[in-house]
Order: sequence, then structure tokens, then C-alpha cells
Amino acid sequence: MTLFQAIVVLVVLAPGLVFALFALLWLFGWTPGERLLAWVTGVTFSACSCGVAVLIWKLASGSNITVNLGSWFTVETYHFPLVLMVDRLSVPFLALAAVLSGLIGQFSATYLHRESGFLRFFLLLHLFAFGSLLAFAAGSFDLLAAGWEIVGITSVLLIGFFHRRRAPVENGLYVFGIYRACDIGLIVGIFAMHHWAGTASFAVGFPSLTGGQAVIVFLLLLLAASGKAAQVPFSGWLPRAMEGPTPSSAIFYGAISIHAGAYLLLRAQPLLAQSLLASTLVILIGATTAIHGTIVGRASADAKTSLAYATLTQVGIIFIEIGFGWRWLAVAHILGNATVRTMQYLRAPSMLHDYHQMHSAVGGQLSATGTQIEEMLPEKFQLWLYRWAFDRGHLDTILERWLITPLLHTSTYLSRRNRTGTPSTIAVRPADAPQAPIARVARRGE
Amino acid sequence: MTGPRCSELSRLDRLQRAVEQCAHLLPRQGPIGVFVHHNTLHAFEHLPFERAVIEAAHLFGAEPYMSEADYRAELARGRIELVDVDAILDREPDNLIFAGLTRSSLRRAMITPGVREFDAATIIWRAEQGDLAKDFRRAALRVLFEACFARAVAHEEDPAQPRPVDEVIHPWLIRLCSVFLDQGAAYWPMPNREKGFYKSVRGLLARRGGILPKYLVGLDEEFRSQERRFFSAADSVLDYLDSGCLEESEWPEILQAELLALPGWAGLIHVLEEKPTLAPHKILPCSLLDFLAVRLTMLRVAARRQATETIEEEPPLKTHERRRLSRAARMYDAARVLRLSGEDVESLTESEWAAFASEVKVFNGLERRRILHLAYERAHEREILRGLSSHRKYRGLFEQQQRPSAQVFFCLDEREESMRRALEEVNPSIETYSAAGYFGVAVDYTGIDDPQSSALCPVVVKPKHAVVERPKPEDSSLLERRRWRRRVLGLLMRNSFISSKTLLLGWLSTSVLGLLSAVPLIGHLLAPRRYALLRDRLNDAFLPEPRTELTLMRNTKESQDAVSGLLMGFTPEEKAERVASVLGPSGLVHGFARLVVIIGHGSSSLNNPLESAYDCGACGGRRGGPNARLFAAMANRKEVRQRLREQGIDIPPDTWFIGGYHDTCNDEIELFDLDSLPSTHQPDLESLRNSLDRARAQNALERSRRFESCPPDADADRALRHAKERSEHLGQPRPEYGHCTNSICIVGRRDLTRGLFLDRRAFLVSYDANFDPSNSGLSSLLSAAVPVCAGISLEYYFSFVDNDRYGCGTKLPHNVTSLMGVMDGHASDLRTGLPWQMVEIHEPVRVLFVVETTPDRLEKVIDANSALKQLVTNRWIRLATIDPASARVHVHRDSKFEEFHEALERLPVALSSQEWYSGKLQHLPMAWIQTPRTAIGARLR
Repeated sequence: MTLFQAIVVLVVLAPGLVFALFALLWLFGWTPGERLLAWVTGVTFSACSCGVAVLIWKLASGSNITVNLGSWFTVETYHFPLVLMVDRLSVPFLALAAVLSGLIGQFSATYLHRESGFLRFFLLLHLFAFGSLLAFAAGSFDLLAAGWEIVGITSVLLIGFFHRRRAPVENGLYVFGIYRACDIGLIVGIFAMHHWAGTASFAVGFPSLTGGQAVIVFLLLLLAASGKAAQVPFSGWLPRAMEGPTPSSAIFYGAISIHAGAYLLLRAQPLLAQSLLASTLVILIGATTAIHGTIVGRASADAKTSLAYATLTQVGIIFIEIGFGWRWLAVAHILGNATVRTMQYLRAPSMLHDYHQMHSAVGGQLSATGTQIEEMLPEKFQLWLYRWAFDRGHLDTILERWLITPLLHTSTYLSRRNRTGTPSTIAVRPADAPQAPIARVARRGE
Repeated sequence: MTGPRCSELSRLDRLQRAVEQCAHLLPRQGPIGVFVHHNTLHAFEHLPFERAVIEAAHLFGAEPYMSEADYRAELARGRIELVDVDAILDREPDNLIFAGLTRSSLRRAMITPGVREFDAATIIWRAEQGDLAKDFRRAALRVLFEACFARAVAHEEDPAQPRPVDEVIHPWLIRLCSVFLDQGAAYWPMPNREKGFYKSVRGLLARRGGILPKYLVGLDEEFRSQERRFFSAADSVLDYLDSGCLEESEWPEILQAELLALPGWAGLIHVLEEKPTLAPHKILPCSLLDFLAVRLTMLRVAARRQATETIEEEPPLKTHERRRLSRAARMYDAARVLRLSGEDVESLTESEWAAFASEVKVFNGLERRRILHLAYERAHEREILRGLSSHRKYRGLFEQQQRPSAQVFFCLDEREESMRRALEEVNPSIETYSAAGYFGVAVDYTGIDDPQSSALCPVVVKPKHAVVERPKPEDSSLLERRRWRRRVLGLLMRNSFISSKTLLLGWLSTSVLGLLSAVPLIGHLLAPRRYALLRDRLNDAFLPEPRTELTLMRNTKESQDAVSGLLMGFTPEEKAERVASVLGPSGLVHGFARLVVIIGHGSSSLNNPLESAYDCGACGGRRGGPNARLFAAMANRKEVRQRLREQGIDIPPDTWFIGGYHDTCNDEIELFDLDSLPSTHQPDLESLRNSLDRARAQNALERSRRFESCPPDADADRALRHAKERSEHLGQPRPEYGHCTNSICIVGRRDLTRGLFLDRRAFLVSYDANFDPSNSGLSSLLSAAVPVCAGISLEYYFSFVDNDRYGCGTKLPHNVTSLMGVMDGHASDLRTGLPWQMVEIHEPVRVLFVVETTPDRLEKVIDANSALKQLVTNRWIRLATIDPASARVHVHRDSKFEEFHEALERLPVALSSQEWYSGKLQHLPMAWIQTPRTAIGARLR
């Protein structure tokens, strides 16, 4: 193993090792102090960032770095290789993940001081960093999927960080549901690649797919990417993800997790380039999302939701760029968007302070917004559009009424079929039951 | 024809009245840009404290006191003493339960050694594997439990069920409220807001062509039908009430339940309905009826849909058996602490057992917590009064022989207590005073950078005078340049922020310029203080600072501004009156030093939606610098001093007043108008500056002892840097602790407290009863100080004892909404009250006022003021007096003053405050700080 290969492995593994070490120690009953944890976090991510800097320097002059970690298993001639690969596409993402995780760690050490979930937050931050570094440094879709799932589960756990209240847990579960549903695409896509090409590695796998196969695999991957990147029609989960502590919202939905979908598409670019259908679809999804995001974002009055939709708008545009094959523009756009949004999320609690400052600086006369394009529309359409924006494009409702409810009904039906013979615990509320508040008063009167 | 119309009208009136009747239960917190501390349970002030907290607890589902475990921990560490528990129990009526057991001995045993709390949900687990299982290993206890179980009867109420309809309509209602009330956060404001909430929402949702969630299908049709019938909000509400066939007498309860389902939003609408000008940027027609109309319409549709749904009912968790078990466990625990055996229990007659059971039931967790809380407060009261009366021994040690080098006024704020002490410690020849931080100058003030004026005075006062800060004539061109450049900067900030969120400009700015924001990101996070320093330097270089003056002169009585109806500036009489209102009651009427400094205060921090809650309460949640500056400018005028002399306040010609401003977060002190200081006073100023600088560093050090993140071995300069960094850190949820730990208010001369370590826990009000024979000074001081201090103390109390209900929980997931409040995450009720990070080290006690006067005189003052009287008789504040002549201490208990006799032999002594607090995080008891000068005094004695 060369020095550079060792660096790749260390960069990816370091946060994972920190997670494993502290999680084990915690299982044995030891809780590290805040200072120690903050220090370890700082050191880990500084080291990772330095490692990535070395990799950038190496890649500038040389070729890709591939690390063969051996096989997961071997059955006769078939084997399942574990490969890390760092190329010019992955290295900006590695840099982004390492540097931002470090900065968020620095922020959170102050922000979460004396919070009872301090250790939990930092463990999840390390696990997340490990997952995202693994996904970005993976040489095949197998490892990418592993990293991807780690990012997904930490994301959900951090949304439900304040698990003593109901809303964070419910919303975390909602996001989990969407993630799981969309990740079917990634898993089936990988199966398909193994089936058709015998491997899921980028280097070997892509060329051996035929045209039709490539489109199918790509569309499956697109489903996964759209879910993770909150593209239409899955956008409804994004505002719900704002239940966690501010820094986790920043790094997940401002910076890294939200752009992971775009990374997946960039990885699958060779497949995309073969098919007009696929690229049209990506452009279509991106364009719809960008328009959806910008209109919905305009009607959001709370800091975090409006930032979520601002991020989403740009991710939509990034999808368009990828559809057109402008890889490097997309990468630059991702880096810029991630940095801007991280800063804006971290500043979101200062919104009042900043707004008052701006307001007084311009002498109390801030120009009205939302009066240009919006007011040129005919009034009826204006109201309709505002309502559409206000209800976030009805996306939640559409999913709920025409996807989730039928699914629930089917599963309820099946489970009831399964349980026939056991006494039913279903109670039917009579149609003329008193309305809720009245019932409540009556109850109290008893 | 007129008949039905008339009754229809009065029906409307009755509806209005019913709504108002419920509305007073809503939180009274306005937009958080200006935060005013107030009693969270303001609606219950007509009740005695102990009853109010219980009633509110039932109504809001909140905690009235700390948890029993918390009080027990305080008992264990000696913060509550058993004598206090006994004293409180002795004041309750006693009774014989059965032979050998009185109520008071039962209660004593139930508090210490103490019984446990049991509930039906966990009882089986506890009996099988938990603490009860451990008990049962001892045969005697097992027998006792069985004996109790045999006689136990189950009775317990069902807890209120959560309302499934709320889950359906709240996400919509919350979003509607937030876009309707929005003050400029959303790019696209809601259309037709000027029509009011109900009509604009109706107009929006009645449109065809939307998709509604399953449970709200039909909402558009419902709104359309109301539109067709030209409903007003009241019609809609009445229609709902009629459709449920409700009697008018049932209205209030229905409406109350509806309003309290989202108290934060409803409260904000209510506040803005009463005072629309509180909205920081856009005045909106708010009305609770509108809110109710929308809510009830949604509710009606949702309830209709839900009624037809099948729901899966879980088997009830609390079976009869569980309840009986938990009841038995309570009886068992009471019997156990009384050391009764199984046979004892069996041998009780039916009536004896019933009496025993009912006594145990009555003395439930809430009652035990009430007793423990009273004991907790009593222990605190004794500690304070003991300390204060012992400190009297040192009285007169600091009789000034020479003229003091300076006299410094601070706000009565308890955060300035350490500042005053530090200043006296570093320079014992300085005297300090306190007054409410608006210094008697209630003004409507406009600074050079302010877009509009704001009222700098307590919220209950309405300013009649306007003052404008304007550049000195020679600097007016500088101001123009400053305004122009600020405007450019502001527009740049705003446009870059907005455009980064739009589609096309956002594309450009994020993809091309996006990486540039790594600079502030890294700067803010890795070197917050240096980054702030850099920013300040750039500001100084870029924005010229003109010298300014205040328009405080007015010669004729009637130069009233036509637009605002405010008087511009003050006449000499009015100025003299303002100055006298502060100097007179504080006893500073002669012996003026060459410099008298008046220091207002405020607090600056980043990333803190509640920034204003740290500012000066006496200035209505704003910064009090201008008041201090105005006061000094007034007191320096010849014609004012002339008039003061006539009132017996003799300010010598060589005394100069200076205004100043103290930032309690970063401990910076700024002094105003120094260019007009006579050159003869320059050396005095130098020395004062030096003392202030050392004092503020000492103050920062004392504050830092509470912060775990400041290294314990830091010196004063390091602590000052730490304080500065806190105020500039983007991720700092506790820039300072604010009023946290406040617990007493001492109204009296500084002699009473000078050299006494009060741990930043005491509001101090300078008052000298000897100069106030008519009590009028005391009356005006108390009428300003009591509401402010009681409001702060009670808001901290409630936000601490139930941070989720009365406070706003942890700050970490907060999301600023509509520029007026915070939510948890993307759709929650508006959170009111104080966050956990602000109250976490608080001791929840009602503020104890110690007034240096006699009980008779104080009673007269209180009886004359109905608001004060209500607070005192209903025990929302605690009260004690110290006789200015004889030093006897009286404490107000059970609506009368009792003499307090305990005294310490001597107070603990330390050579400096730092020696006393260094290395300690906890609350500290009083100590006598022997500074060199006072030490000399002691030796002389």
C-alpha cells in the first residue's frame, strides 16, 4: 500500500474509528467530557482536511488513487470487491465533507454545551462524516450504498434528536420513510448491475452495460438520488427535517446530505450520457424542483424553511446542469451552494438581529419584495399560485392521499387477512359522534 | 324589525365578551424583538400564589413547583433545613388522625424520610423489578404492603386525551398564522392581509383548484359557502357554536379550549390586536375572533371527516388493577415511613383507615411540593436576613471623611451588583448608587442611526417627550456620508441575502461567489473575537462617526409636535423634576463629588433571537445609554441646578455629570459627551476611567465563574476577553446568564450592603428613608421597581419550574418565524417565555424585597397602591423591612410583619470578592469583603 492509499483509508476511517471508540466506551459506561470530545473532533477533522489537501495535491499531478481492500466474500469465480477510489470528482466532495464537519464540530461544541445529548450529537456527527466520506471515496456502488445508508440513518436520528417531544420523532419517521422508499432504487440498481455486469464498480461496471440496461440502472439510481436530494415529488420532507439542532440542519440539509443525490448522478454520468431519455428526465426533475423550490420558498415566513427551499432551488438547478452534462459547473455550484447555505443556516437564529441592522442601515425603508412578477399576474391566478406556494405545491397531500393512504389500506387489509380468527380490536366511531371540543368539555364535566 | 337585530347585536357583544374573558389566559408576550419580562401567570394575580400555581397547572398542564426529587436533593445538600420544613408545617392546621398519629407528624414523615410517588403506568414494573421489589425482600415490608393492598380502593382520573383533530389542522393553522403575521421574512407577502386574518385566509382557501389533505377535504367548499353568505368572522364563529347546539354559558369553555390549543400564536394575535403598533415593521389588523373563525371552520371540517373514520383503539394501559396497586403503594409508603407494621394496619378500624387514607391522599405530591417549596424559600429568606442584620455591625465603618472621588449611578439590575462592588473594591473612594435604569427620563428617542423613534421607559409609562440625537453642526456632513455608506452596505447585505435565495440570481451568486462565504464562516467559527475585531476596525475606517448632541431644550411650554403629539425636549422645570426624582430618593442631596456618572445598560449578542430580553427592563427591553446621557446633560445645566437648589439639592459648581453605557454581555463601558467636560476635570476623568476599566474586568471575572467554558484559572483580562468572545460567537446560546439567579431586591442605603458579597443576585435600589419623611419617594420607587423586579423574578420562576410549558424549551432547535417569535422546528406553536439556556442555573424563589424603613411606613405605602397591595397580599413577592434607625428586621409572614431575631455571630470574611468566589460554580452565601479601606475602618473600631 502506498502512502497515498494509506491516506485515503485513514481519511475515510478516522471519523468512523472515533465513533466506534467512543460508542464502545459509552456502552461500557464511560461518558467522555465535552472538552475531550470537542478536542478529538477538532483533531480528527483537521487531520482529515490535511489528508484531503495532500490528495488534492497528488491528483493535480497524477492519476486516480485506487485502494483495494480485498473482498467481502468470494464464491467460486464471483467475488465481491471492496474498492476505494479517489478521483477528481470525489476529491472536492471529500474536502467539503471533511472541512465542513470540522467547522460544524467547532460550532456545536459551543452550541450544544451542557446539552444532555452532547455525546449523542458528536457520535452521530462522526458517524455521518464517516458515512459521507465513505460514499464519496467509494470505488463501487456497493460501498457507496453503505455510506449512503449511514448518512441516511444519522440524518433521521438527528432530526429526532429531541426525542422527548412528539414532533421531532414523527417528522424523523416521515423522512425515514421517504428515504427508505427511495433507497429501493439504489439497492435494486446495484442488484441489476451485479446481475448484468457482474460488478457494481464504476470503473468496470459501466462499460459492460448495454444501452437498455444502462437506462434502467440509471433510472433506479435517479429514484434514490431524487429522494435524498428532496426533488419533486419528494420535496415535502425537507422542511420537516428542521426539527434537529441548528448545526445538524446546516450540515445535512444545507451542505452535504442534500447534495449527495447530485453526487450519485455525477458518478452515474457515463450511463446518463448514453441516453437522451435519462438526461431529459433529469433536466425535467431538476427544472420542476427549481421552480417549485423558488415559488414555495417565497411564501415561507420562517427562517429555516425558507433556507431549505432556497437550497432546494439550487439543487434543482444542479440537476439541470448534470442533465446537460456540465459536470464541472455542477461541482462548482455544489461547493458554492453548500458553503453559502451552511453559513446562512448557522446565522439563521440571528435573523432578527441582521434584519434590524439592515432595516436601520437603509433608514427604515426596505423596498417591498414580492411586488414585481407576483403582482403582474391576474388576481385570481395570483391567489391560486400563492395558495399553491403556501401549501408547498400540495406535494405532501398528493403523496399522502394517493400513495401512502392506499399503501396503508393495502397493508391493513393484508394484516387483517393474516389475523383472521383473532378478535378484532377495531372500534368504529359512530358517524354522529359529538365534535371534538364538545366531547372534551363533556369529559371534563364528568 | 329592531327586536331580532338588537338581540343579534348583543349576541355579538356577548361573543366578544366571551372571547375577551378567555383571552386573558393567553401569554402576553409580544414580538420578541422587544422583550419585556412579566409574570407568566399574570391572569392569576388576583389569587394567592399557592392557589394560582395549582389552578394554572391544571389549566395549562404545567408544573407548579420544581419536582419533588429536586427539593429532596436540596434537602439533602442542606439548602433546605429541617427547621424550615417544621416551621412551615407548624403553620398549617393540625388534626388527630387516629390515636398516636397527628396530621403534622404524618406530613413530617411523608416529607422526611419521605414517600415516593407512584403511578399506575409503572407500578407493575416497580413491584416486579424496581424499588418495590427490593422492599419486598424484607418480609415485614411485604406483609405491610399486602395489608395495605387488601384495604386499598382504586380511584384515579383519566388524563386528558390528546385531540387528533389538532394534529390535522395545526400544521395549516400555524403556517397561515406565520405568513399572515410576517413582518418581512417571506419574499412574497400574503395577499389581501389588510382585510384581516379571517377574510384573507378565506379568500385564499375558498379558491377552487387546490388539493386538500384527506381530513380537510371540503374546507374550500365550507369557506366558499361562508363567502356566499357574506359572513364576518363573528358570524362564522357563531355559526359554529350554533351548529353544536351550544348554550351561551358553554361558550367560554369551548373558546378557551380552542385558544389554549395554540396559546403562542393566539397570544401574539391578541397582543397585536390590543396594541397594533407593537408590530416591528408592518401593522396588521389582528383579531382573535378572526383567528377563532378560521380555526373553528377548519375544526368543523376536520371533525366531520374524522367522525366517519375508523380508528384503532389501544387497550387502556391503566387497568383497574394497576390503579388499585398504585393506590396501595402510596398507602404502603406512608405506613412505611411511619414505621407501622402489617398488624398495625390490619388493626385499624374502618373509619381510622379511611381517615388515614384520606390524609395520605390529601397530602399528595403537589401538596408535599408546596410545603417543600415554602421551606425552600424560607431557608433562603433566613439566610438573606441573617446576613443583612449581621452586616449591620459593620455599619458606619465607611463614613466618608473626605469628598468621594466620584459617584456612580447604575441601574437597579442585579447584574450591576457585582459591577458596583467591583468598582468600590478597586477604588474605595468611589460611591455607587442605583436607580431604575431609565433614570426618571421617560423619552421617545431617535438616535442618528435609528430609522424610527422608540420609547425608552418602563412599559407602563407612556413618554410625553421626544428627544432626537443630531450631529453637531460642524459634523453634519459626516453624518450624511455615514448615512449614505450605511445605506449602501445595508442594501448590499439585503440584496445579496435575498438574491442568494432566488432562482436565477441565486444560481449566479451560489455557483460563482458561493465559496467566498467560507471567509466569514471560518472567521466566525475559528476566531470569533479576532473576526469581530477586524469587522469593527473596518467599520471604524469606513463609517465616520459624527459627534452628536441631543435636542433636549424646550423653552415654551407648548411646542408640541403636530404629528406625534409629543413635546420636543424638556423645559428647565421638567428637567429639574427628572433630576430630582433620581437624586432625591437615593439620598444624594449633598456631598457631591467632582464627577457624578450615570450609567445605563444593555446587552449585545449574536445568534440570539431573545437578545432584547437581556437589555434594560426599566427601558422597556431596550438599551438605556441615551437615558443616562440625557440625565447627565440635564443635570449639567445651570438653570436646572438653580431650581434643584431651591428644592434642597445643592450641586456645587465644580460637580460635573457624565452619562455612560455598560454592555452587560461584553462588559464594555462607554462614556458620552466627554468633549464638553471642563479641562479642570480631566485628571478626575482619567482616574475614574482607570477604575472603571479595572472594575469591568473584575466584573467579567466574577461572571465567568459561572461559565464552565471559561478556564477556572483565568485572570481578569482573560475573563474580559472571554466575555467579549461570548458576545461575538455565532454559536453561543448563553452570551450571558441575564437575570438568572435573581432572588432579592434591597431598597435602602448603600451602607446596608456595602462590602457585602451578594453574588449578583440582588436588585439594589438606593433609598434613604431619612430624606423621605412623607414616604412619597419610597412610593414612587416601589411603584416602578416592584412590577419590574416581580415580573423578572416570576418569569424566571415559571420558565424554570416548567421550561416546556411556561418557558420556550431549549434554544437549539429554535426557528425564527415572521420576525416576531420562535418555533421549534418548522411548524410548532410560537414558543413564549425563557429558554432553558437562560434559566438553567436559576433558583426558583419569589423575589424577596428588603426595604430599609419601618413596617408601619411600608404598610402605608403598600396600602395606598392597589397593584402593590395585590402582589403583597397574594404573596407574589416576599417582603421584609430593616429599621433605618434601630436595625430591627421584620419579615412579612401570613399578612403581618413579624420580628426576625436570628443573627449570625459574624459573617464569613474574605479579603476580596475574587478570593470568595474563585474556583466555585455554585451559588455562594453572603460574605463580608474586607477591602483595605474597610479593613482600616474595622481596626479603628
